[in-house]
Amino acid sequence: MAIPSANNPILSAKNLCVESLGGKESFPVLTDLNFSLEPGKILGLVGESGAGKSMIGRTISQYLPNGFSVTKGTLAFDGEDLVTMAAERRRNLLGRDIAFIPQEPLSGLNPVLTVGQQMKEHLLRIGLAAGENWRERALKEFEAVHLPHGAALLEKYPHQLSGGMCQRILIAMAFASRPRLLIADEPTTALDVTIQARIVKLIAEMQKRDGTAVIFITHDLRLASQISDEIMVLYAGRPAERGPAKQLFSAPAHPYTRCLQLANPNISGPRRGLFILPERMPGLRVLKELKGCRFASRCPNAIEACTETEPPLADIGPNHIAACIRTEKTPDIVPPPLAPGREIASTRIHLNGEKLTKAYTTAWSPFAKRSAFKAVNSVDFTLGEGEFVGIVGESGSGKSSLARLVVGLDTPTDGRITLAGRDVTANGRSEKAYRRQYIQMVFQDPQSALNPRRRIGSIVTQANEASGLHTGARERMDRAAELLKEIGLPPDAAMRFPSQLSGGQKQRVNIARALCTLPRILVADEIVSGLDVSVQAQLLDLLLKLRDEHGFSMLFISHDLSVVRYLCDRVLVMYRGEVVENGETETVFADPRHPYTRSLLAAVPPDDVNTEWSPVAAEAGYQIE
Amino acid sequence: MRMFATIAKLLVKRVLTAIPILLIVSALLFCILRILPVDPAAMSLPPNATVQEVEAMRAEMGLNLPLYQQYGIWLNKLFHGDIGRSIHFRQDVTSLIGSTLPATIELAVIAMGVATVFGLAGGLFLFYVRGTRAEAAMDFLSILLLSLPEFLWSLFLLLIFGVFFEVLPFTGRLSPGFERPVVTGFLLLDSLITGKIPTFLNALEHMILPCLALGIALSPSLMRVLRSSLLDAYQDDYIQQARLRGLSEKRILIRHGLKNAILPTLSLMGVQFGFLFGGTLLVEIIYSYPGMGNLMVDAIRNADLPIIQGAGLTYCIAVLVISIVVDSLYLILNPKLRVR
Repeated sequence: MAIPSANNPILSAKNLCVESLGGKESFPVLTDLNFSLEPGKILGLVGESGAGKSMIGRTISQYLPNGFSVTKGTLAFDGEDLVTMAAERRRNLLGRDIAFIPQEPLSGLNPVLTVGQQMKEHLLRIGLAAGENWRERALKEFEAVHLPHGAALLEKYPHQLSGGMCQRILIAMAFASRPRLLIADEPTTALDVTIQARIVKLIAEMQKRDGTAVIFITHDLRLASQISDEIMVLYAGRPAERGPAKQLFSAPAHPYTRCLQLANPNISGPRRGLFILPERMPGLRVLKELKGCRFASRCPNAIEACTETEPPLADIGPNHIAACIRTEKTPDIVPPPLAPGREIASTRIHLNGEKLTKAYTTAWSPFAKRSAFKAVNSVDFTLGEGEFVGIVGESGSGKSSLARLVVGLDTPTDGRITLAGRDVTANGRSEKAYRRQYIQMVFQDPQSALNPRRRIGSIVTQANEASGLHTGARERMDRAAELLKEIGLPPDAAMRFPSQLSGGQKQRVNIARALCTLPRILVADEIVSGLDVSVQAQLLDLLLKLRDEHGFSMLFISHDLSVVRYLCDRVLVMYRGEVVENGETETVFADPRHPYTRSLLAAVPPDDVNTEWSPVAAEAGYQIE
Repeated sequence: MRMFATIAKLLVKRVLTAIPILLIVSALLFCILRILPVDPAAMSLPPNATVQEVEAMRAEMGLNLPLYQQYGIWLNKLFHGDIGRSIHFRQDVTSLIGSTLPATIELAVIAMGVATVFGLAGGLFLFYVRGTRAEAAMDFLSILLLSLPEFLWSLFLLLIFGVFFEVLPFTGRLSPGFERPVVTGFLLLDSLITGKIPTFLNALEHMILPCLALGIALSPSLMRVLRSSLLDAYQDDYIQQARLRGLSEKRILIRHGLKNAILPTLSLMGVQFGFLFGGTLLVEIIYSYPGMGNLMVDAIRNADLPIIQGAGLTYCIAVLVISIVVDSLYLILNPKLRVR
């Protein structure tokens, strides 16, 4: 199964098993992992959350969670087993020969130390050439990752920088020692699309410069196929499929890979339906009782035999293996037909914004002149009945500020908002009450949007408290049961607390709460970002289904253009507080007029793995950072 | 540079807000103590004074004027550094406070130093033993320490080191035979300035037991806060990232963990230091230490209004000064609070 090669692998895993032994029960975390990574190659690790992707990075560093340990197999770095190696020897490798790039660049740097202090600490540890000054070296490394004004940067604290800049600093640090192995764990998930493209390109550029082997961990199969040489798809701690990136992406052999691919909306070509992977990946604790294929319960191609024995990883092509006994059936998995286009019952306009402006002035201070910053600048928009309108743009483009104006969390400094025929610009007590009947907001992070001390039944019917109607316990429980049914949660979920639900279920509850009083308009701020593609697909289809039933309209804020393309009828593109392009989603994405829209679109990894992804060139003249 | 500008800004702002606070506190002190059923005039006279004499005294002291006028007069005098004369000690309140305040400040500062050393060391140790069997024992011990008040520690230490082993003095600030040098009013400082090393050492010996008692009593809460803030900090990505860069655990703890975890500990220390000014009272009494605490007790026992007012104001100023110092330290240690 090993890929034949003249080079010695820099990292190779043989039958690697990681188990959790602490606590009352032991369960497998990673099962029978085999791979080898040669110098200068990129291995993409793909899978849903909980599949064990990050655990591989932790196994390499041997900073495993409490109670977790390697129970079988070897993980060799340049021929030396990292698992049995003396801790001091391994620590010596970390930061020098093995480098890591984290998921959250802002929290990856110490908030109370300057960039310079942290850079200096790292450079002194990896060792400078004789007579070399750490400062000069730091500037050199910053230059390599295209960070301008390096000298000024050294004096800055992380919170004074953007996420993209922090990630560049972390990349500069990682490559400063010319490592032989780099582990990048979802390095772009927390960043904007355009920044994501640049960061990915930067990692590839640096990797080529130093001939570094890279493990690129991501939940985005499309992104992985663009950057990697080889891809390994993990499912419930076990490899489902492994093969050359292009081949794996264009002809996936394992149904799971195919389903993941089809769960993600496409950005080019005709729109297609999303494949909905049912339920969730089996929890690690039940794996031991599970016979047969781990994916069988969600697999559209599963037959009786799949649930009897665990399928071995079998060769299905050159360097291409998959753990499935029916790989020939995989191409038969097709996306469901696209839901029929929305029937526009009327052309009534619900919501209308004219020249909306929100300016923030700095606080009064005797030491500085007050200055104004326009977060939203003279924005015109309309939202018709039953219409889904997407708002796209990078962080700081004014998307969320616009949403806050619409729901009345902020009052515009200029312009006019009309809601169902009434001017609500003033945003006083009566306007707020009027707004509440019509508009509800769904927040981004279900983790913090749901009060952890309240039961789901009480959370979803919260709006009744404000309206003063149907506040009886009986009435509320009945309404909660209805709502939970609509969003596809079991009725007993009403008695649970948010911590007992999965991320996707929490976001459903978040949506149910907004729907409780049957609003005519939903404002959704990045509600599917940070979720797995499978959960994302479930939620997108849920929103479409609920629109069919209730006919509400929605302002859908997102940085993910393919999601907007799938879901929204029209799109507003925002840049620095202004709307730079506005029109039917299909038209705008097929024929973008504004250079900024073009750069946003170019930043999305293409659907076709053979199309060249050139995000940086398209951005020329539109510098954001 | 930006840091100093921000601190300067903070100082200006805090001093400006301190003025109304002091006015409100002074008005409260004045009114509440006037409402007390004590007649300062009667108290200033011998018990066999006649009613006429009392009335004359009242007129002389301005007690027959309306309350707001009395307050105005009192405030005016206050601005000129005159808080009045103690009825009991027959001395200016300013000079009484001037001679006892330095003693209390010395006691509080050294006790806080002891608490900081014990608190930081204990907190680091508690954190170090996390997840081991020693943790439960240490946890138990720290809660036990937390539940012992400072006067109990005072008595324990006094009995053990003062009475039983007879190794340390436990009354007053100096042994008989030592002459007290007066330059700044701070005994330790003055004896050093005048080069009287034996006096300095003797004064230091006298401070050991009261400072230990206060320091030990304050340290368990510091330990526990530091431990939990360290645990929080270790959940953050930058700690993991520092590990993945191959830094040693010791370096991660001191340079990355402690630097972040010290912030909540620092605010607790600020609060404790404020309380310490009132909290030295029992310890001062037990060790017959001539500080503000003993002065207050005498004043309250004798209903000596001017001293109570003066001490109350001093306490208020001390708390304001401490909070400004703590906030400035916060700015130095936490760059996020500085203006961008």
